[in-house]
Amino acid sequence: MSVGEVILEAKATSITFGGLKALTSFNLQVKRGDLKGLIGPNGAGKTTAFNVLTGVYLPTSGDVEVCGERVNGRRPWEINRRGLARTFQNIRLFKSLTALDNVRIAVIANTKPLFARDRIARLRSGSSMNRVAAKVLDASNNYVDWWRALLKTPGFLREEAELTARADALLEVMGLSHRRDEQAKNLPYGEQRRLEIARALGTQPKVLLLDEPAAGMNTREKADLMVLIRELREKFSLGILVIEHDMKLVMGICEHITVLDHGETIAAGDPAAVRADPKVIEAYLGEAPAHA
Amino acid sequence: MRAWAPIAVAAAALFALQLLLGRFEFFVYLASLVGVNVILAVSLNIINGMTGQFSIGHAGFMAVGAYTASVFSLATNDTRIAGLGVVSDQIFFVAALALGGAAAALCGFLVGLPSLRLRGDYLAIVTLGFGEIIRVIVQNTPSLGGPLGLSGVPQYSTFAMVWFVVFITVLVARRLASSTHGRALWAIREDEVAAEAMGVDTTAYKVRAFVVSAFFAGVAGGLFTHFQSVITPAQFDFTRSIDIVVFIVAGGLGSTTGAVSAAVVLTLLPEALRSLFGAIGADSSLSAVVDQIRKPLYGVLLIIIMLARPQGIFGTNEAWDLFKKKKAAA
Ligand SMILES: Nc1ncnc2c1ncn2[C@@H]1O[C@H](COP(=O)(O)OP(=O)(O)O)[C@@H](O)[C@H]1O
Ligand SMILES: [Mg+2]
Repeated sequence: MSVGEVILEAKATSITFGGLKALTSFNLQVKRGDLKGLIGPNGAGKTTAFNVLTGVYLPTSGDVEVCGERVNGRRPWEINRRGLARTFQNIRLFKSLTALDNVRIAVIANTKPLFARDRIARLRSGSSMNRVAAKVLDASNNYVDWWRALLKTPGFLREEAELTARADALLEVMGLSHRRDEQAKNLPYGEQRRLEIARALGTQPKVLLLDEPAAGMNTREKADLMVLIRELREKFSLGILVIEHDMKLVMGICEHITVLDHGETIAAGDPAAVRADPKVIEAYLGEAPAHA
Repeated sequence: MRAWAPIAVAAAALFALQLLLGRFEFFVYLASLVGVNVILAVSLNIINGMTGQFSIGHAGFMAVGAYTASVFSLATNDTRIAGLGVVSDQIFFVAALALGGAAAALCGFLVGLPSLRLRGDYLAIVTLGFGEIIRVIVQNTPSLGGPLGLSGVPQYSTFAMVWFVVFITVLVARRLASSTHGRALWAIREDEVAAEAMGVDTTAYKVRAFVVSAFFAGVAGGLFTHFQSVITPAQFDFTRSIDIVVFIVAGGLGSTTGAVSAAVVLTLLPEALRSLFGAIGADSSLSAVVDQIRKPLYGVLLIIIMLARPQGIFGTNEAWDLFKKKKAAA
């Protein structure tokens, strides 16, 4: 649990779509307490990197490790439960659910099931017999959860109250309490982005991946968001990896920056060094000053 | 304790109604028909409305339940639990329903599995195929009566029993929809990729939605056969599945209230027309016309609703939420 523990590691991870090398030999390490940036011009492969890390895409070669365990081929929800949560560049909230419900759904991930999850996880990585046992225990957990909901057992009611309280607390942290019972789609753009962060936090991640969290915000909102991201890191002792199109912004808060261009890592290091790197300047100049 | 109170109250109320109305045979028959359709609609709504998957083979699950329950009741027809009188029949009836439901739930599990990989249209085709396969199998199994079906199934069903199951189905749908674990189904409907990313095991939830939904369809089949007394494979064909889809689309995908209302209205409508025609000209040919115009009528109705109110009459709103909001405002 301590700061400094390596949570996420990409080891020479590559992915190609048809002939397109969207990500080539990508290396990255995120520890608890890190605040790192991933930048690059449009189409550089940043979002693709997130998708590979979170299990949406299977890497063509190389590995992704979460807490020291190789997770290639694991489903996104399994990777999420190992401590990785994300937001989406093109906001993907549960649009017609309320803000509260958006967060409450995420909070399910850390309820206490009948059979302990770490025990099931251990079984799952064992022999084939154990894997079958893991499936059975997992399914039992799921069905028991529903039975408890149907019978409204005292334990269930207590858990519902806890989940709701936790979701409310996260809405509060993100400054969204006043939107609690509104449908997500009716929130203004900036608040939708913050709701996505609240939802991601609901899964109690160790590392949080933010895909252009400031996109579409005005300068003031952007500045506030950067402060908030810093606070989140302290409050939840998170490791955070931010994709941001805007160089200046990232330079301001990140301690380490990786620069992608055409899927290749063209620079990595502390902000000052990255900024001075001729390759980075060239990549960004090539893209014209569209984003000041 | 509070969880059981509504069930006890419903059981008592239905028992009283049974004593009052049980002798009006035609009423009981109609009410049973309506009840079975309500169960089918509410249960299909768990898959199609809440989870956002598209199943069009619900009649298949109903058939599995109906045939399983019928075979059990026919086999145990002469068996009685000594000293219990009619209660003995009801015990066997409940057992038949449970078996029918369980068999259908098992099928639901098997049909739900491909939904791990298939989406949208592809899943719809699998469920359609399932429904048709069940029908063809039954049609070609002599021990199940082939195309002539089964007859002489004991008429154990009562008004109270049908509507008690209706009540339980609605209660289950409602409690699922408003619990955090059940709410994950809504998340899948809204955005599957995001749900996965938030730690929701979407495949497990989808399979579970199929299991629960199929269970109730199977029980509905079991009820159906115990008041019809005769069942044939043709009663569980594709058009029956479509009827159920029409109920929930018209009522509003995702709304249990909508599913109940549409099932009640659209079951009674053809019956009303039939009795109307029966009153005008006593010959039966006019009643047959009702069945022929019913299908195009449903088609037109659906088109009108899709044009005027694509989210269905009730959208995803529920009658009980309205009540809650009123209370909160007061
Ligand atoms: N599923 C996919 N299939 C084919 N090409 C893809 C896919 N996902 C991303 N790409 C391509 O990979 C490249 C990188 O895209 P992306 O990661 O979205 O860039 P960005 O750095 O702007 O987030 C683009 O050329 C994009 O078209
Ligand atoms: Mg992107």
